[in-house]
Amino acid sequence: MTRIVLAIYFAIVTGFLLLPLIFLVPISLTDSQFLEFPPKSLSLRWYREFFTDQSWLDATLVSLKIGIGATILSLLLGTLASIALVRADFRAKGVLTALFIAPLIIPSVVLALALYIIFLRWRLVSNIYALTLAHALIAMPYVVMIVSGSLRRFDMTIERAARILGASPVRAFVHTALPFLTPAMFASSILAFFASFDELIITLFISGGLQTLPVRIWNDLSLKLDPTVPAVAVMLTLVSIVGMSIGEVIRRRNELRYQTHSVPEA
Amino acid sequence: MRIRWTKTLLLLAPATALAAILFVYPVFGVLTLTVHDGTSFTAEPVRQIYASQLAIIVLQRTFVTAATVTLICLVMGYPMAYFMAGLTPRRRVMATYLILLPFWISILIRTYTWIILLGREGILNKTLSSLGLTGEPIQLLYTPVAVHVGMVQILLPIVVLTCLTSILDVERDLVKAARSLGATPRQAFWKVVFPLSVSGAATGGIICFILCLGFYVTPTLLGGRTSILIANLIDLQVHKTLKWDLAAVMASALLLATFACLLIYWGLTRKRSEFATGGLAR
Repeated sequence: MTRIVLAIYFAIVTGFLLLPLIFLVPISLTDSQFLEFPPKSLSLRWYREFFTDQSWLDATLVSLKIGIGATILSLLLGTLASIALVRADFRAKGVLTALFIAPLIIPSVVLALALYIIFLRWRLVSNIYALTLAHALIAMPYVVMIVSGSLRRFDMTIERAARILGASPVRAFVHTALPFLTPAMFASSILAFFASFDELIITLFISGGLQTLPVRIWNDLSLKLDPTVPAVAVMLTLVSIVGMSIGEVIRRRNELRYQTHSVPEA
Repeated sequence: MRIRWTKTLLLLAPATALAAILFVYPVFGVLTLTVHDGTSFTAEPVRQIYASQLAIIVLQRTFVTAATVTLICLVMGYPMAYFMAGLTPRRRVMATYLILLPFWISILIRTYTWIILLGREGILNKTLSSLGLTGEPIQLLYTPVAVHVGMVQILLPIVVLTCLTSILDVERDLVKAARSLGATPRQAFWKVVFPLSVSGAATGGIICFILCLGFYVTPTLLGGRTSILIANLIDLQVHKTLKWDLAAVMASALLLATFACLLIYWGLTRKRSEFATGGLAR
């Protein structure tokens, strides 16, 4: 009896959680000038609008550039740091780990204000490279968490075997641990990319005249409710669901593959 | 495999440099701005905030909103997690994906959908009036109700998943023991599962509370003038009134509150590992 009540409750609340998704798609397919539900006639008009409007395309391009730059940077820096955090022994380990994760935990508006003040002083507001660096900072926690977590599960005997067989430390790492880490790096780069691609508050403060896609949506929302936004939203959601699913599938497959070979730590 | 400290240094240097230049230094700058005006130490910004009716009201409102949203999430989330804990592992994974699905839509867009749903001419009002339940459209958008709905929708998955982990951490044998000693399922839940999982649920609540404190998008889009939160006030003071020192004081207060919550969180999680198993396992 209790189970049935709980199941119904679960279904209702899950429905509440998925509500935005359920309504977004039909709304984006409207043919009218205004947001309406249910749409009187279906069309891809607002999707077309997105692809023909230069300002939307420009914003997408800026977001892509920053997102890719931030992903590469955070992946590189985060992976290097993770190796040291997992493999080396030093006092400041806890502090450094906390430092790398911190940008994810502290309220974005604090970081936005802090960056805005120094970027004004350094004349970096609306500089795309500075913005990319800031995005790399907020994407790095994902890389550090996922890659160091994966590296911790890596069975070191394989790498030791490579070293005993005469490989240099770097070569041994590249041929044994790196293939093991690749899926984690892939999964974390997807998360890192979307951390940057979705970032709004920090970007609003320090982007100046630069418009990323979220900033473009934000500016649109404060003017009027035009149906291009739902169309963009649906496309963004599709892209992120596909991207994150691929990342997740690869991560899981890898875990399974190595699970059977790994030796439990003594 | 141990690595040498020169290598360690080289590996850590780039990431540390990035975090130092774009995180530690700027945040430290904000903190100093609250007590230092560039030439000498001053208590003026803190005093101004303390004297400002608006700042005090918004600070209070932020904490009250965060507490309310956290409470709603816990009360809504715990039964969800309890239901999920009783599923077969395979189904539980599917339920988890379902819960996490909205997580992949950006907060901006999820908030935006609430505008469409809750507006005066929105879907909810239309449905209600077509069912003949309401004559006049109800004002939902731009009220604290809308802000709470939006925030709960965003934060609930986090609370559900932390509650789930803490319920799953409770030793199954303890429940069996209670049942074999004559407890009804209800008694077994209230005397065993609930007390052992409540501290884990509390850690989820703390994470939720911390995240609530910094909310910006939801109160801006769904709240009216009377429901702005601290993040909105910081934004106003930077971009409209140009009082950076006041913005810095509010940001520091926010940072301090976050840090205090983290300390409680660490305290709770440190205790939890022995707590969840009742000191019996291992």
